[in-house]
Amino acid sequence: MESPHQPTAAPATPDFWRSLDERALTPEFHERLVREFPFVATLAPSELDRRHFVKLMGASIALAGMTGCVRRSVDKIVPYVVAPETAIPGRPDYYATAMTVEGFARGIVVDSHEGRPTKIEGNPDHPESLGATDAITQAAILSLYDPDRSRGPRSKAGTGDWAAFESEWAKHQGALLTAQGEGLALLIEPTSSPSLRRELQRILEHFPKARWYQHTPLAAYETGGVQADYDFAQADVILTIGSDCLYRHPAALRYSRAFAGRRRVENGRVRMNRFYALESTPTVTGTLADFRLPASPARMRVVLNAIALAIAHNPPSAGDLSPAEMNFVRALADDLRQHAPAVVCIAGAEEDADIQRWALALNAHSGAGGKTVRFLASQRSDSDRASAGDLTALGGAMRRGEVTRLFILGSNPVYTAPADLDFAGLLSKIAFSVHHGSHADETAALCTWHLPESHWLETWGDLRAYDGTATILQPLIERLFDTRSSLEILRLLTAPPGTQAYDMVHETWQHESSGSDFDVHWSRWLNAGVVDGSAAPAIAGPAVDGSFPVLTPPTTEASPVLILQPDATILDGRWANNAWLQELPKPLTQLVWDNAALVSPAFASRLGIASGDLLALSVGLQTLDAAAWIMPGQADDCITLSLGYGRTAAGSVGTGRGFDAYRLRTTEALWRRSGLQVRKIGGRYALVTTQQHFSMEGRDLVRVVPPDALSVPPPVANPTLYPAWKSSGYAWGMSIDLSTCLGCNACIVACQAENNIAVVGKDQVARGRQMHWIRVDTYFEGDPANPRVVHQPVPCMQCENAPCELVCPVGATTHSSEGLNDMVYNRCVGTRYCSNNCPYKVRRFNFFDLRPSPDALSILQQNPNVTVRERGVMEKCTYCVQRINAARITAEKEDRPIRDGEIKTACQQACPAEAIVFGNLADPESKVSRRKREPTNYLLLEDLNTRPRTTYLAKVRHPAGGTAS
Amino acid sequence: MVKLHDPSSDGPNRPSDPPESDRQLFSARASTFFRFSLIGAILVIVGSGIAASAYFHSASRYGVGFAPAQPVPFSHRLHAGELKIDCRNCHAAVETSAFAGMPATETCQACHSQLLTDAPQLKPVMESSARKVPLEWNRVTRLPDHVYFDHSIHVNKGVGCTTCHGDVGHMDRLAQSEPLTMRWCLDCHRNPGPSLRPASSVFSATTPSTRLGPPPAELIRSYQIHVANLTDCSTCHH
Repeated sequence: MESPHQPTAAPATPDFWRSLDERALTPEFHERLVREFPFVATLAPSELDRRHFVKLMGASIALAGMTGCVRRSVDKIVPYVVAPETAIPGRPDYYATAMTVEGFARGIVVDSHEGRPTKIEGNPDHPESLGATDAITQAAILSLYDPDRSRGPRSKAGTGDWAAFESEWAKHQGALLTAQGEGLALLIEPTSSPSLRRELQRILEHFPKARWYQHTPLAAYETGGVQADYDFAQADVILTIGSDCLYRHPAALRYSRAFAGRRRVENGRVRMNRFYALESTPTVTGTLADFRLPASPARMRVVLNAIALAIAHNPPSAGDLSPAEMNFVRALADDLRQHAPAVVCIAGAEEDADIQRWALALNAHSGAGGKTVRFLASQRSDSDRASAGDLTALGGAMRRGEVTRLFILGSNPVYTAPADLDFAGLLSKIAFSVHHGSHADETAALCTWHLPESHWLETWGDLRAYDGTATILQPLIERLFDTRSSLEILRLLTAPPGTQAYDMVHETWQHESSGSDFDVHWSRWLNAGVVDGSAAPAIAGPAVDGSFPVLTPPTTEASPVLILQPDATILDGRWANNAWLQELPKPLTQLVWDNAALVSPAFASRLGIASGDLLALSVGLQTLDAAAWIMPGQADDCITLSLGYGRTAAGSVGTGRGFDAYRLRTTEALWRRSGLQVRKIGGRYALVTTQQHFSMEGRDLVRVVPPDALSVPPPVANPTLYPAWKSSGYAWGMSIDLSTCLGCNACIVACQAENNIAVVGKDQVARGRQMHWIRVDTYFEGDPANPRVVHQPVPCMQCENAPCELVCPVGATTHSSEGLNDMVYNRCVGTRYCSNNCPYKVRRFNFFDLRPSPDALSILQQNPNVTVRERGVMEKCTYCVQRINAARITAEKEDRPIRDGEIKTACQQACPAEAIVFGNLADPESKVSRRKREPTNYLLLEDLNTRPRTTYLAKVRHPAGGTAS
Repeated sequence: MVKLHDPSSDGPNRPSDPPESDRQLFSARASTFFRFSLIGAILVIVGSGIAASAYFHSASRYGVGFAPAQPVPFSHRLHAGELKIDCRNCHAAVETSAFAGMPATETCQACHSQLLTDAPQLKPVMESSARKVPLEWNRVTRLPDHVYFDHSIHVNKGVGCTTCHGDVGHMDRLAQSEPLTMRWCLDCHRNPGPSLRPASSVFSATTPSTRLGPPPAELIRSYQIHVANLTDCSTCHH
């Protein structure tokens, strides 16, 4: 049968490609393609002859019979003595609270099953969540049950408890009081918590000569006490300069939601914006751009100067710019002129200050202020006047001997300090140093005392979101270990022990709220997860007149520039011990468990390096060996390395993985360092990526259409001998919009948390045995120097003619009356025929017993409504059938049909861009039915006639024409 | 067995063969004995197969009659049968949750802080209440971990308590009454009508002697039971 969408002959270089190996069609790639599981062959024992085989089989059959001889054990049912008033055993409760995202609040709702928090969802009433979450928020629940969390206070001498610490502190306290706190220093991450800031104020009043320093290895989202906030819904033209604002930003979820609204096809129409990205290293946000220009930090300045000139009708001279740069500048300048003031320009927080000013100038020049751009007072304490400065200031004070007693709260400066500060050396000279943190980390090892910190799901607190909205944090669970919160530690400095965080937060808000009925307000705030009317008002922005600063390119253009960036999953290293985030493929590289030095394909060929080669990086006095990764779309002449790896005391999961980029950082150059020397040192390092696994042989799996021709070829009705699927009742289906999918991978972790999906480790991922039920494939298109990118989430397609069902010898995978492709774990015998026959490669197999042991802490996280799979069974996406069943039971008890939108799959619920819609196809007015009627609807591998229930909407993007990129 | 003459074994080195009459090693009786032992062996094999099968399909194999001793000799016969205390008084979550719920000690104490406070049988309850240590009951009705059973939907759709838990109103010590096998579940999921009751008698503590209420088809209609998906694997396994 002729298939309409199959390439007629293998093209010399494919249009869409998923890795550089595939594009070059190397023999290794071919080998991988042909032998689907190349690793299996190596596992067959070669020395096993027939005689031994029969012996082993005989023994296993004999032993198998033994299992029938187990007597029934007696289970216990343990009811309450006094039942909590509202608790219904077997039904989850939901509590609204917030987690901190780089010091800001993100509103969440936490599922609690009989007192154990199991899953985090976004709070729909919170302006910085809108019901969505990102990958880190989804994974945060696992850190509550991290077995490496520190469990009690520890002094340098060895053991210790709270009483010992308190009595030791009491001695220091007396001495400090007489000295008015001279020599006392506090180091805290910038925070938005009103209670914490109030407490700091109290300490500074109590000890007037004490100093409060702030440190975060990440960039600030403000300048001079002012934050900019953008309205992506109203912006017709967007320019990002090295900014990943839709992926990693305190307001990323709100921005993504608004951005997606301008990319979604609804009723055959789309109100498209035009998105330009200028960046040195590919970002998730940049992959969504219509026009993307990779530029090294030096070229970026040249291009920005040219844009400034072009807006003022001074065409750039061709000598300065390459053709690609020229096209980008021209097209952008035209668009900016035409669409002002509906313009947003946002520069990455890591970019230099003059580039930030340039972005502000463009917004001012376009008249965007008050329309698409507004300004707020800083919600975080970065510019607090009471603060004595950052880590460099503290380092100076320590070097001068001005610090005799140091408290480090929730920060890990020994690991995150710039290399030239030698913070470890300075810290070891402090007579009395206290570290308060969740883990006994690198800093804890050098402090006189380490005090364990309560998890934010175990204690009271408060935080403000990027837009100012405040949330009261409420505990979901009794403290698992003998820990205290940072509020309680701070209170200990000035008051006798015993004050609870609850009283402190209650006090703060009683103070804040003027009216009566405080207790009524308080319960409403707790219930809703937001404090009414606490959003910050817009203020006048910084005085910018719209004239562009002239950006001077650095003179040392010849040598490559080192770019440091927060890691896509473990950020600055604080999530290093979270196994879900370590195993989550990093967007674009799809690397797991490691970071790597990203180099452009041209740079790599000049140096003769391949992905996985070890490089010696040296810049100034600092050196580091790191493995290279060839990154399509990386600007030439720069190497990007992410922070957060190479930790020495992260815990059992995070210690000793990857390469410590902090060793190349200096106080002067936190994010960009020119003068980098790169040398290949000959060794290889095993980088593991999910990129090439489960490749789909170059068929047109992703489709891209321009906004003025919104249609794809209609599905072809292939002749078939199978009877048409007859549905009775509900018919579940899903639609995934490639146009709005950001590629943020939040859906992967959401699915993992919901469905008790195991972590397998780097070695197993290298063998292609990762367990994620939904994956996000990244497809590159065109020139490797600047490819266009499409992300495609692939869960189970729930085919009506499911190939997997036909080949199962034991009927372990069958079709439900509502069109679900059911997987029955207790029937599965592990032949893996179904996986072999699945054209979408969405089935996962338990090669090992990956269940947590019954006494493991992480077992508390498991969803009680999903079977925990044992060794030797297949598993796959179920469309979250446990949620379908729960909704069905609720609806049937109320004698009504299930409402549209009542069931949200875990991936759908997490998605900030609302790219995934699930619902009943039998209802023509359901959201999913309406989406499937859009002209861009298509089926994955439709020529196989599997009739998938999961379908896609083609990606809509302005054609690259007009720019040479 | 008769050893037959094998001409191929005749060789030049062999001693002279015995005479024809001496070549019979076994007598005629031996072969009769052999026939009987063969029949006997077959009988033993078949018989043990039948016995094993009977055992594997017997009710007791699946725990019917399993009645562990409980920390408190609580009598359903007395409380539910004779005193006619509603099931939901103690199993309060049965209409709203998957789990029917077990009474907290304070539920027992609602009456027994006044009644029979000195009874030795109730000592564990008093101790639990005083020391705030929960009672540990022994589970009688158990489904495997990979089965997700929801009490609330069953009682809301006309399946009576005694349909699965047996005639608790006549049991002093609670015993498992049904095999709770997948086949037993499916018998009803394929054809739920005969097991349904009108809503008024769902919480009856004793098994009714005759089928109650309207005909099965009418009950299925009035409870709006969608039979097609009752046998989907994912209805119970997820």
